[in-house]
Amino acid sequence: MRKLGIIILALLATAGPQLFAQTSAKPIAIDFWYSMGGANGALIQSMVKDFNDANKDIIVTATYQGNYYDTSAKIQAAVASNTTPHISMIVDMHNAMFADAGVLENLEPFMKRDKVDINDFIPGLLDWSYYNGKVVALPFNRSTPLFYFNKDQLKAAGLNENGPQTWEELRTYARKLTKKGERWGFSCPIDIWFYLGMVFQNGGEVLSPDGKHSGFNNEIGTKPIYFWREMIDEGIMKLPPGKEYNSWDVAMQDFLNGKVSMIMTSTGYLYGILDSAKGKFNVGTGFLPKSKQYGTPTGGANIAILSGKPAKETEAAWKFVKYMTDTPQVINFSQKSGYMPSRKSAVSSASMQSFFKEKPQFKTAIDQLYEAAKRRPCHPNYPELDKIIMDEIQRTTIDRSYTPEQAMKAIDAAIQRLF
Amino acid sequence: MRGNKSMNIGSKRGAIIINALLLAITIAIFIFPFFWILSNSLKTYDETMQFPPQLLPKTPIFANYKAALDSMPFLLYLKNSIVVVALTLICQFLVIVPAAFAFSLYSFRGKGLLLTLVLFGFMLPQQLTFVPIYLLFGKLKLLNSYSPLVLPFAASSFGIFLLRQYFMGIPTEIIEAGYLDGMNNRQIMMYIMMPMAKSALFSIALVSFITRWNDYFWPLVMTNTQKVRTLPIGIAALRITDGKTEWNVLMAANMLLIVPILAAFSVAHRQIKEALIHSGIK
Repeated sequence: MRKLGIIILALLATAGPQLFAQTSAKPIAIDFWYSMGGANGALIQSMVKDFNDANKDIIVTATYQGNYYDTSAKIQAAVASNTTPHISMIVDMHNAMFADAGVLENLEPFMKRDKVDINDFIPGLLDWSYYNGKVVALPFNRSTPLFYFNKDQLKAAGLNENGPQTWEELRTYARKLTKKGERWGFSCPIDIWFYLGMVFQNGGEVLSPDGKHSGFNNEIGTKPIYFWREMIDEGIMKLPPGKEYNSWDVAMQDFLNGKVSMIMTSTGYLYGILDSAKGKFNVGTGFLPKSKQYGTPTGGANIAILSGKPAKETEAAWKFVKYMTDTPQVINFSQKSGYMPSRKSAVSSASMQSFFKEKPQFKTAIDQLYEAAKRRPCHPNYPELDKIIMDEIQRTTIDRSYTPEQAMKAIDAAIQRLF
Repeated sequence: MRGNKSMNIGSKRGAIIINALLLAITIAIFIFPFFWILSNSLKTYDETMQFPPQLLPKTPIFANYKAALDSMPFLLYLKNSIVVVALTLICQFLVIVPAAFAFSLYSFRGKGLLLTLVLFGFMLPQQLTFVPIYLLFGKLKLLNSYSPLVLPFAASSFGIFLLRQYFMGIPTEIIEAGYLDGMNNRQIMMYIMMPMAKSALFSIALVSFITRWNDYFWPLVMTNTQKVRTLPIGIAALRITDGKTEWNVLMAANMLLIVPILAAFSVAHRQIKEALIHSGIK
């Protein structure tokens, strides 16, 4: 009997503290899904590690979930099976869809309580953050289209080294820079991003003021297509071959090889392009050329908290989201990845200002974001419309028997059906 | 007579040359992508972007392999890939062989219906079944384990169907001889049918191995944690979102993925040939 007592005591003495320690200080486990591969994925992991080191009561596990669209599909399946993560990166245009399904946490009460000022975020990046008066996501890895040109080639052709400012200048520059069979003046994927940019530059919007019709079922929408068609026919614009992002890669490859003098592509390519062009030629960047005005859409992804978790976990999730979108982290992430800094305080910080001196090409992108960013409709059906616009503009640019007017009509019909 | 013979030899030689030429072209078509992966995996990024493309790197560099290995928990993913493929193959053979045996040899009520069901499974695409299967495993709390990567593939409709056709081609005399020698059904299946269907078994194993080994979609959807993820996910993670992808590193990772497949092919290739020679089925 005494022996047994001793054994029990001994067991308690060894196991007791462990049991106790485990129950009292067990950190809250938070899952965070993200969609960035390569070096940017590693950057996310290092930021998560910094957060975990500084917050012993929380353990965030960040897991790569494929590209933006894989991640969205996974969230849909996770919602259906009740296995959602606490936090996820969500591609911009899917935010409304998830918010509409009621699976995104309203961040506004947290922001109010912790005095996180939403007005410090750059307005052009908040396009997908509000839904039904709630703040459902905060901008995180956001990008925009940007105009890139080979300064040396422009100089050699006797052109202004600041690049073309208007569509007509773009045309004349492309004409002068083209050397038949050797070099194209301009190249750009036939993609909704650049197309919508041109619609905005023409003074258009995606939707009509009543929100029920197309905002570009007229010259505003057809002009960009005719502009592309004319430049392609004249042989001064190269249509980069390849499906989806492969055509983007081709445009960049041609640009890096000096086969094309000017391209439009994402700010996400900026670092890669500067890196590869180093020692070969000088890269200039500019706003997307204007027609009536400057204009650009935005892209990339936001960060959101999924609802339906215990309050303690949601609180911990908010702590992480607050950290990731706070000014020092925004500066760090933006400088290392090349994504847009999402906060005004980050842009005006001394660190960012000196960074701009080093990489003036990056500054152009942010100026354009401040001055010219336009919103796409934050609506659950927008992703479907996006696909329809993409198909229609690609078809009408390539298939000459299908007029831009027909394409605009088809888009308008889709908008009336979807909105 | 003599002239005739030499003409015969001449046309034979011509046929051989044409044959060899066609073979060479076919081989080149099949080999080139592998060669291209290997070549690009040894280039610098700028070389991969060069136009016109260069067949070979100026000086081969191996840094891409290190970068690929460093980008992911390679050994963990490799282990997971091997475990998933091995478990799937074991499960498949436990199910396929008896099923094909029953479908080919027995006649029982509902056989036609059951076989139709098997074929139906053959025709349904993954994209159609993944949501209900995901929900099922979610309810069973088995997501983030090997189960959803292995169990849905435990019964391969393709395998059952192919093996059944093969079993049906085995002459009944051989099977009856087995019965006369006092073998039971299990022994007939294991010692007569299986050895005779060796080539079919190898083909099924090979197809299963390659599809499971290379699969990206299924493991990505069914797992949310690194713990049970397989190699293709690590490789897909090398594709950059919104920016330039380092094709040289991606190709190095691809080499790491395809080497085991090539090894399996070269081993199984000999086995299939042998199996064909010894099977006694024409």
